[in-house]
Amino acid sequence: MITGLVTEFTKLAHATVVRVTSVLIVLGISLICSSMLFAVHTDDPQLAAKLGPLIDPGGWAGYFAVAVQVTGAAGLVGYGVVLSWLFSREFADGTIAGLFAIPVSRRTLAAAKLVVYLTWGAVTAAALLLALILLGLAAGLGPIPADVVPWMGRQFALSLFSIVIATPAAWAATVGRSVLAGIATAIVILVTSQVSVLTGAGGWYPFATPALWAIHSDMAVTPLQLSLIAPVVAAAVALTLQSWKNLQLDR
Amino acid sequence: MADAVDARGLVRTFDDGTGVRGVDIRVAPGEIHALVGLNGAGKSTLMRLLLGMLKPDRGTVAIAGRSLEGADWTTVGHLVDYPLAYGELTCRQNLALGARLHGVAPAAIEGIVDAAIEELHLGQYAGRRAGKLSLGNKQRLGLASALQHSPRFIVLDEPTNTLDPAGVILLREALLRRSDTGAGVFVSSHHLDEVARVADRISVLNAGRIIGTLDPHGIDIERSFFELVHSDDVTA
Repeated sequence: MITGLVTEFTKLAHATVVRVTSVLIVLGISLICSSMLFAVHTDDPQLAAKLGPLIDPGGWAGYFAVAVQVTGAAGLVGYGVVLSWLFSREFADGTIAGLFAIPVSRRTLAAAKLVVYLTWGAVTAAALLLALILLGLAAGLGPIPADVVPWMGRQFALSLFSIVIATPAAWAATVGRSVLAGIATAIVILVTSQVSVLTGAGGWYPFATPALWAIHSDMAVTPLQLSLIAPVVAAAVALTLQSWKNLQLDR
Repeated sequence: MADAVDARGLVRTFDDGTGVRGVDIRVAPGEIHALVGLNGAGKSTLMRLLLGMLKPDRGTVAIAGRSLEGADWTTVGHLVDYPLAYGELTCRQNLALGARLHGVAPAAIEGIVDAAIEELHLGQYAGRRAGKLSLGNKQRLGLASALQHSPRFIVLDEPTNTLDPAGVILLREALLRRSDTGAGVFVSSHHLDEVARVADRISVLNAGRIIGTLDPHGIDIERSFFELVHSDDVTA
C-alpha cells in the first residue's frame, strides 16, 4: 500500500488539474462569498436589495450561510472533477497498461488513489475554511462571535461530506474510462439532490442530506438520515475497487 | 529452469472477429523470441493475454513456471500500447515511480534510475517533463522504465515504433545484454525490423494463429514472411 500511496501522491502533487481545482475551490468559493459582502455594502441600493437576503442574517452568520450554500454545489463539482481525473487519466494517457503485470495490485492502486484524494480533499477543505475566515476579517466583519463557530463547523463538515459523496464519480470514471463520465456523475448527484430537496424527499436522499443539514440549521435532519451516507459511499468505494481488480484491456 | 513464459492453447476472440485462436508460445530463459505479423494479426492481444491484461476464453499462461495468479511480477518488464510515462513528471521522476511500482527497494532506486538514463541516452532529458518529450524520447523513457529493474521476462509490443535509428540500436543492444544474462525476451513487430533480426526465434502470427517460423539468419526473410502470410490467407 505504501508504494501505491507514494506513487499516487507524487502524481497528484505535480498535476496541473489538481493545482487549478484546488485554487478554484479555495479561492473561488471564498471570493464568491466575500464578494457578496462587498456587494451588499455597495452604494447601489438595487444591488444591495437583491443580494441582501442571500446573506441574511448578515455579519459572520450570514457570510457562512452563503459559504455553505456555495460549498454544497461548487465543492461537490470541484471534488468530483479531481476524483474523476484521478481515475480516468490512466485510460486517457494510456498508462493503464503499465499498471498491469506489476507487484502492486490494481485494487491497491485504486485504494491509494482514494486515500490520496481524501487527504487532498481534507487539506483543501481546511484551506477553504481558513480562506473564508481571512477574507471575512479583511472585509471588516470584526471579531468572530461564539455563535458563528457552529456555522464554521458546518461549513467544514459539508466540505468533508462533499468529498465523500463524490465517490460514485470514481466508479463512473473507471467504468466509462472517461473523465466526462465521472464529472457527469457528480453533476447528476448535484441535480438529483436539488430535485429531492424540492420534492421534500431530500432528508432521505443520502446525497442531499449533508447540504440540508448544513444549510438549514433549523431543519431536523436526523442522525439516521445522515448515516445513510455511509452505506452509499461504502458501495461506491467497493464497486470502484472491484472494477479495478477485474479490469481488462478489452476496449 | 522453467521457461520465461509458457502459454498453451490461448484463445480470446472479440465481436469483430479479431483475437487469437489457439496459440502456443514459449520463451526460454536467455532467448529473444520475436513475433511478427501484419496489423490486426493479434499480436497485441497475445501480449495482453501473457501479461494478464486480458483473460483468455481458453488456455493457460505460466511465467517462470507459475500461473499468472501466483507470478512474481517483480521479474517482469513490459511495454504494451503506451509507455508508463506521466506527462506532469520528469523523466527521472517517472523512472523512479516505475522502479517503485516494479518492486525495487527505495534505497536502490536512485542507482537504477541513473543506470537506465545512461543506457537509453536520456541524460539531457532527465529533468524534463515527459509531456514535453518527443514521441521517440517518450518511447525511450517507456523502454527504460520497462527494462531498468533487470526483469527476467521482458514483453515489448512493437517497441521500435517512433524510435529513431539510434534509439533502435540502443534498444537492440539493451535486449541483447539482458538475454545474455538469462532474461527471456518476447518482442513483437509488424515488420522485420532491427530488433526482430537479432531474435533467436521468429514466429509468424496471422489471423490469430501461429502459422510458422522464420529463420532469423535466413536470406531474404521478408520474402519468406510474406509467402507464409499469403499462403495462409489463400488456404483460409
